[in-house]
Amino acid sequence: MTDQTNVKLRLNNSELWGGLIGLALGAFVIWSGLKLKLGTINDPGSGYVLFYTGILMCGFAVSVMIAAVTEGGPTFASRWQNARWGKPVLVIACLTAFAFALEPAGFLLSAIPLMLLLLRVIDPVRWSLAIPLSILAPLGMWWVLKHLLAIQLPSGMFEIG
Amino acid sequence: MDTLVNVAHGLGVALLPVNLLYCFIGVFIGTLVGVLPGIGPISAMSLLLPVTLSGTPESGIIMMAGIYYGSMYGGSTTSILVNIPGEAASVVTCIDGHQMAKQGRAGPALGISAFGSFIAGTFSLVALMLVAPSLASVAIAFGPAEYFSLMVLGLVVLTFLTQGSMAKALLMACIGVVLGLVGLDSITAQPRLTFGRIELIDGIGLVPVVMGLFGVAEVLLNTEQAIKRDIIKTKITQLLPSKEDWKASAGPVGRGTVLGFFLGILPGGGAVVASFASYALEKRLSKHPERFGHGAIEGVAGPESANNSAAGGAFIPLMTLGIPPNVVMALLLGAFVIHGLQPGPLMISQNPTLFWGIVASMYIGNLMLLVLNLPMIGMWVQLLRLPYNVLFPLIILFTIIGVYCSSNNVFDVHVMIAFGVIGYFMRKLGYEPAPLVLAFVLGPMLENNLRKSLILSQGDLMTFVERPISAICLAFALVLLIGPLLPSLRKKRELVALDEGA
Repeated sequence: MTDQTNVKLRLNNSELWGGLIGLALGAFVIWSGLKLKLGTINDPGSGYVLFYTGILMCGFAVSVMIAAVTEGGPTFASRWQNARWGKPVLVIACLTAFAFALEPAGFLLSAIPLMLLLLRVIDPVRWSLAIPLSILAPLGMWWVLKHLLAIQLPSGMFEIG
Repeated sequence: MDTLVNVAHGLGVALLPVNLLYCFIGVFIGTLVGVLPGIGPISAMSLLLPVTLSGTPESGIIMMAGIYYGSMYGGSTTSILVNIPGEAASVVTCIDGHQMAKQGRAGPALGISAFGSFIAGTFSLVALMLVAPSLASVAIAFGPAEYFSLMVLGLVVLTFLTQGSMAKALLMACIGVVLGLVGLDSITAQPRLTFGRIELIDGIGLVPVVMGLFGVAEVLLNTEQAIKRDIIKTKITQLLPSKEDWKASAGPVGRGTVLGFFLGILPGGGAVVASFASYALEKRLSKHPERFGHGAIEGVAGPESANNSAAGGAFIPLMTLGIPPNVVMALLLGAFVIHGLQPGPLMISQNPTLFWGIVASMYIGNLMLLVLNLPMIGMWVQLLRLPYNVLFPLIILFTIIGVYCSSNNVFDVHVMIAFGVIGYFMRKLGYEPAPLVLAFVLGPMLENNLRKSLILSQGDLMTFVERPISAICLAFALVLLIGPLLPSLRKKRELVALDEGA
C-alpha cells in the first residue's frame, strides 16, 4: 500500500473509525448491562453477561484503534478504489424504498418495481427481458406461495395479491 | 452389530420416497449453489430454512445436510472450469484444477474431484457412525462448565482462523453474543435490548441475520465488480481418470480424507480449513512440489477429498454435543430447533430414527451426487453461462420471500435488509461475518451455561479449571488468544486464515 492509501492518525483512517464504532457499541452494551442489573456472582442477573461482553468489546475495539494509530490503516477512499461504489449504493436505495413500500403497497406492487430497478441498475439487462422477468418472477413466486404453500404475502392497502 | 442394525433402520427411513425426494432436492440445490459463484451453502441453507417447516424433521434436516455436502461437490466444477471458486472450500481447487482444464484435462480434473469427494464422503460417514454414538455416551457426563468452555473454544478457534485482525474477529464474536441475547432472558423473563419493539421479544431471527449478512451483503459486494468469466470452451471428455491419474491421486485422496475428517470435527474448523491444509500437506510431501500451481492432479484430489470429509466430520460436534462447529452447522442447529428438537448427547438414544435416518440419507446423497456431477456435468457447464445481472436480482427476491415466509413478518424483511447493508460495510472494512453468526447462535447457550455453572458452583470460578475437559478447552483457547502476539505464530495464522464468508 502506498502512503496515500495507508494513514495513521488521520480522520480518513477507516480502521480508526471501525474501532471507534466498536468502542461506542461496547459502551452502550456495558450501560445496558448495568441497567438490567448484574446480580451477584452466585446468582448472575440479566445484565451480567451483557456487561462483561461490553467490557470485552471495548477492549477489542481499543486494540483495533491502537493498531490503526501505530501501524496505520487504509483510507476510506482506498477501500472503494477501483470499485463501482455507485452500484451497491443504488441497490441499497432500492432495497430501502422496497422495505418502506412493502407493507402499504403489498408484495406485488413493491416487488415488481424492485426487480425492474435491480435488473436495470446492476448491469443493465435489455428492456425486452427486464420487463417480463420483473413481472413474471414475483408473480410466479406469489402464485406458488399462495396457491401451493398457502402462504399469504402482504397484499397492502389495495389488497392486490 | 448394533451399528449395522441401526444403519439398516436408518436406510428404512432414508429410502422413504418423500425423504429420497428431499435428499435429491438438497443435493441438487447444493450442487447448484456450489456451481454458481456468489451464493454459497450458507445463503442457500438460510434461504431454505423456512421450507423445512413444511415436512417432517427428518425430511427437512436431510435436505439441509444435502445442500451442505452437495455444495462441496459443485464448488469444484466452477473452480476447474471458470477459475472462480463456487464456494469458499473450493478456492484451492482453482490453482491446479483450472490449469489442468487449460491443458485440456478438465475431464480428469472433474472426475478425480468427484471420485475423491465420493470416497471421502463415504469414509466420513462410516467414521461418523462409529465415533458419534461413543462420543455421545461420554458427552452425557458434560456439565454446564464443560459446555461453556467448549463453546468458548469454538468461538476462539473460528476467530483465530478468520482472515484479518484477530481483535476484529473477536469484536465481531462479542457483537454476535450481544445480538443473540436480544429478547426475553430465559431465566428471569426480563426483556433485553428490545427498545420497546414487540417483534424483538422473541429475539432477532437467525434467518434474517444470516440472509442479510451472507445473501444480501454478498450481492452488494458482487455488484461492485463486473465479474468476468473465462469458461473453458472445449468439450469435456474422458471424465474417468487414467491409471496414472489414480496412482498419483490415491495418496492425496487418502490423506485428505483423514485430515479433513479430523479438521471437520474441531470447533471452528471445517471444509475451508481442511482444503487449504490438504493442499499444503500434498505440496510438502510431493517429490516435485514445483508441479503444484501448474496442473498437478494431487492439488485437486487432496483438497476436494478433504473438504468433503470435513463436511461429514462437522456433524459430529453438532449431533453429539449439540454445539455447531461452524456457521453451516449453526444453521442446521436452527433447523433442528425449528422442529422443537435439541441435538446433543441424548438425541442418538432418544431419537435414533432421526440420527440414523440422516446418516443413511448421506450415503444415498453421495451416490446421487456422483451421478449429478459426472454424467450430468454438461448441464452445470450450461448453467455457468447464466448472466449475473439476471441472477443477482433473483437472489434478492428469493431472500426477501424466504425471510418473510420464515416468520410471516415484514419486520424480519427490514432486519434482513439492515443486516445486508451492515454486512456490506463490515466486509468493506475488513470485519468478517462468520464469527458474528456463530456467536449469535451460541450466545444464548453460552450465557445459560455460564450462569448455570456459577449458580451450581456458588460463584466459584475455579469450577472452570477444576474440571479437566473444561480446563483443557480453556487452556487451548488461551493459547490461541495469546498466540498471535508471537511473531512466528502470527505468521502461521496469516497463512491459514481464511475468508469463511465467501
